[in-house]
Amino acid sequence: MLEFGSFAFTSPWLLTALIALPALWFLLRVTPPSPRLVSFPPVRLLLSLQPKEETPSRTPWWLILLRMLLAALVILALSHPLLNPGSALRGTGPLVLVIDDGWASAANWPLRVEKINQLLDQAERENRPVRILSTAPRTPGEPVQVSNLLRAGAARQITAGLQPKPWPVDRSQALAAIRAIEINGSAHIVWLANGIGDADTAPLAEHLQTRGSVQLIEQPGPARALLVQAPKSENDVMNVPLLRVPGRQEQTAWIRAVSDDGRLISREQARFAGGEGATSVRLTLPGELRNDVARIEVEESRNAGEVFLVDERWRRRPVGIVSGDIAEAEQPLLSSIYYLERALRPFAEVRRGTVSDLFKREIAVVVLADIGKLIDTDRESLDAWMKNGGVTLRFAGPRLAAGGDDMIPVRLRGGGRVIGGAMSWAEPARLLPFEETSPFAGIETPADVRINRQVLAEPALDLNRKTWARLSDGTPLVTAEKRGRGWLVLVHTTANTDWSNIPLSGLFVDILRRIVGLSAGVVSDDQTTLLPPLQTLDGFGRLGSPSSDAVSVLAKDFDATRPSPSNPPGYYGLDAGRRALNLSSAVTSLEPMDDIPPGVERAGFVSAPAVDFKPWLLLAALLLALVDLLISFFLRGFVGLRRLGRSGAAAILACLLGIPLADTVNAQKWAQNGAQNGAQNPAPTPGQSTRPLTGPDAAALAATLKTRLAFVVTGDRALDDVTEAGLKGLSDILRRRTAIEAAEPIAVKIETDELTFFPLLYWAVSPRQPLLSSRVRGKLNQYLKTGGTILFDTRERGGFASDATGGVGAAGLHLRRLMRGLDIPSLTHAPQDHVLTKAFYLLNDFPGRWAGGPVWVERRGGRHNDGVSSVIIGANDWAGAWAVDSLGRPMAAVVPGGERQREMAYRFGVNWVMYALTGNYKTDQVHVPAIIDRLGQ
Amino acid sequence: MRAPRPAIKDTLAPTEIRRASDESASALPALLVKAERVATVVAQGEHGRRRAGTGDSFWQYRRYQPGDPAQSIDWRQSAKTQLAFVRENEWEAAQNIYLWADRSPSMNWHSSPELPTKAERAAVITLALASLLVRGGERIARLGTGQRPARGRAVLSRMAAELTLEGVSGTGMPPMEQLRRHSRIAMVGDFLNPIDQIEPIVRFFAQQGNTGHIVQVCDPAEETLPFMGRTRFEGLEGEGATLIGRAEAVRDEYTALMNAHRDALTDLCRSNGWTFTVHRTDRPVESTLLTLHMLMSEMERT
Repeated sequence: MLEFGSFAFTSPWLLTALIALPALWFLLRVTPPSPRLVSFPPVRLLLSLQPKEETPSRTPWWLILLRMLLAALVILALSHPLLNPGSALRGTGPLVLVIDDGWASAANWPLRVEKINQLLDQAERENRPVRILSTAPRTPGEPVQVSNLLRAGAARQITAGLQPKPWPVDRSQALAAIRAIEINGSAHIVWLANGIGDADTAPLAEHLQTRGSVQLIEQPGPARALLVQAPKSENDVMNVPLLRVPGRQEQTAWIRAVSDDGRLISREQARFAGGEGATSVRLTLPGELRNDVARIEVEESRNAGEVFLVDERWRRRPVGIVSGDIAEAEQPLLSSIYYLERALRPFAEVRRGTVSDLFKREIAVVVLADIGKLIDTDRESLDAWMKNGGVTLRFAGPRLAAGGDDMIPVRLRGGGRVIGGAMSWAEPARLLPFEETSPFAGIETPADVRINRQVLAEPALDLNRKTWARLSDGTPLVTAEKRGRGWLVLVHTTANTDWSNIPLSGLFVDILRRIVGLSAGVVSDDQTTLLPPLQTLDGFGRLGSPSSDAVSVLAKDFDATRPSPSNPPGYYGLDAGRRALNLSSAVTSLEPMDDIPPGVERAGFVSAPAVDFKPWLLLAALLLALVDLLISFFLRGFVGLRRLGRSGAAAILACLLGIPLADTVNAQKWAQNGAQNGAQNPAPTPGQSTRPLTGPDAAALAATLKTRLAFVVTGDRALDDVTEAGLKGLSDILRRRTAIEAAEPIAVKIETDELTFFPLLYWAVSPRQPLLSSRVRGKLNQYLKTGGTILFDTRERGGFASDATGGVGAAGLHLRRLMRGLDIPSLTHAPQDHVLTKAFYLLNDFPGRWAGGPVWVERRGGRHNDGVSSVIIGANDWAGAWAVDSLGRPMAAVVPGGERQREMAYRFGVNWVMYALTGNYKTDQVHVPAIIDRLGQ
Repeated sequence: MRAPRPAIKDTLAPTEIRRASDESASALPALLVKAERVATVVAQGEHGRRRAGTGDSFWQYRRYQPGDPAQSIDWRQSAKTQLAFVRENEWEAAQNIYLWADRSPSMNWHSSPELPTKAERAAVITLALASLLVRGGERIARLGTGQRPARGRAVLSRMAAELTLEGVSGTGMPPMEQLRRHSRIAMVGDFLNPIDQIEPIVRFFAQQGNTGHIVQVCDPAEETLPFMGRTRFEGLEGEGATLIGRAEAVRDEYTALMNAHRDALTDLCRSNGWTFTVHRTDRPVESTLLTLHMLMSEMERT
């Protein structure tokens, strides 16, 4: 290849043929145009003539020039010039693709896919085998592996199934994997890196260099992944630390707090100064709104690191304080309330008042500071509340010591115990370290904590079991008893500094935090409970049903769990007390990939696509050849000017414009026809019936003589092909299993084609599809109103509407733009008993290539259109799952996978067609007994 | 040298053979139909002998004159009146007329697809003339076949069939043949051969006392030479070829040559008591036929 900057010739040696051009000049000059041959009976008369004038036997110079130009063009074309050529693959061995498919790659995943496809195309052109190494672990317990030597086609199947993982890449495993394989010849290695360096980056790069030439492709600067770290709560503010790969540019991002139902609670802009790798943003979360926060995320988050799932630990619980302290009024700094408030306020919402006051609102913990005797009504309400999961925390004090009620976990001796007072030899008591079984396990006991007085528990059989904290002499300091689902906790000393200095230590806060944490379904009492995965994040930061590889975690191990294939980030546990596993627990710092050894070529993802001049040059040469032909005809007298003007010009023009012209003509015809039909004016023009059926009539017959599935042409060629293959696959299934004899599917151009023939349309939304004109919108409205059904498929799982996951992809946004101006009724999630779930098969969900995305249908149902929803919207890429190639093999992998999912996708397809064609008869009561019978209820 | 490309194929393709045989099997081949149509037009404009003579059809009664044979008196008519009447039949002197159409390769040519070939046009003229003559009761035969002149439509059909099936042959010159004296000859062809070749033939027939008509059929392109640019002209009968650098430059010269050739033909005919007519294929057949017919009638009266 010969390159001049971004311009290159693929076969430059052909350019040597240009040398022959002067010879051509000479040849053309001496060869006169060949004469026109005419048979002529009176040739005898001509034989006797002596012609006086000859046409010049030399070709005119401009004609020679034209022909030379023609020859030069052909030579140039054959030398195959390219603008922006992808440089050829180096080396002789295979193409090795090292793909970082961890969380940080999700942000620009489409770019990666495009790049991978480009490289595979190139490998296919150059007939090189391919090996693929994806550096993130794929399945639990299985190390990262390099694929076998593959042909580009097979490699494409693997890469098509690649998805970014919500956990980090493991370069040490990748290094081990690539060490283990042999590579014949020097490979061309392309490392599609995620831009985040770690300790194994340099060794991996160095090893790769020993295997061939390495090209490192990084993400462009501004699109680098962000990482949301665990937020810290202060009063009404959540302080969210953010990390990025340190870079020179400034970077801003909007951080927002979102509730479970997708409501935006707070939104702040975070700003990284140039060169900085960390910043934080303060989200102001007033009052109870804060408890609604389900996730904190970077706006338009595109990876799992930009989403931080918030669980109960970050919730502020309302804590009520009831105090018997009289000193409060005179000496506020000495009262229990003061200490309690200061300790609780950072993580809880503190209220004060009497017991009955506090119960007027929801409350999680009630703190009774030295209340001697509760009145009966208060005791009853407290009892009932504890059974439902409330936590009552009592502090001892003079009043309780003087004689309390029986709402205490252990029986107390009368009076208090003074340890190390003026009348005692003993030292003030210290705390023993907390036992494993205690909820306080893991909290350090400060050495300087001293307890001077306490109330003593009566020895009892179960005293040990009820004790959570002990003094150094073994007497219980904190005892507790389970009451229903709640707890009754007693601290055997005061909440102020009268009896001990605990309230002055950090221990006080920790203990309070743990006790508050016990309230209403946060942590089960049993640390050995298994927390099953509830919902997990995928690589793009979308929350969905847990992947099939996810396993349960022991509750006590949860804090030590790091995101991995077996434990993807997400929610674990039961719905009431779910706990969040976040990526930030595994990634605490982001380093740039700086220590790449020299000699590694570094490039970005975005490269201008190669422009091939060859066809254009050849086309120009062909046109010139036609012009030359015309001129020759003219010179030789075959074509007179007059005839040329009349018929010749038209014919030649048609030749030159060729098919495009014909196409335009057809298109115009179509458009006219469509407009006619669209205007409800189907009156045939006279004589139409006698003509042979062509054009619109034939198309109409083809569309109506058999039942056909139809899809909307988006203009995105690859997508349309897949959609067509998908509908073909579905048609096969319909023919095989149902009474619907579906013929080959039809592609519908929404702009021009008549829609009335199709009871149902499949519309895969592509961001590349142009927006609709108002005429088409009117047409679609008419179609929807008169009984048509359109299935919109945004093909991006996770939904397009502001659902719980909040994320909206490009196709979803585009769908919104497309739908603007369409008469779409209000939509709702397809309810569990929707007809779609039982139109033919009984289904629970509607998986396609992806599983778990929501399906939206019309809310009203009702009598209109037999209850068939005119619009069904989903994101599961059903056509992808249905698509089969000419041999009937599925074309795309389903995710998370399994033939069962594909089967379910087909079943959804069958149900969809049945639903659109038969309406709601399955909802009739007639069928309910049979359905219930089959459901086994 | 390239072989000349005739505009009509020498051999007929199978489908054409079928069509041709169908046509010949029918009473009136296509050519004959065409010829008949032309002849009808002309016949309406030109009526019979209109004089008394030997014949079968009644012409007139006239008063008996001294010298008329008594047998000629029509007794039935005479009995109606006091006078004697003689019944006269129309004069119906049948002539022997020989027809010839040029079937040489050079006739199989037309300058543009819209025009008929010269051969086709010549055949139409010949047949139309034959049709007219048969209506007039003359005996006709094709020159060069050795057949005796005969009358009736059968001859016409046979002639049409022969002309349709015969294809391309011959030299372009009428064969010299001993004919009955005072026969008449109509030759239709392009007569582009040098005058030296045509003259002996005309003289041969004239010396036998035969009178004749020469119809030169020519394509408009042969008169005007409308070609442009560098052109190689090839003959169709192996006369040779010539390359003309600029065909438009020799146009005037060529026209002059063509006119000279025609003048020579006209002179030749006149000196032998024959007539010469030119027919261009882009003109209607009828006018030529009418002229021809008039000429033949006139010649008879003189």
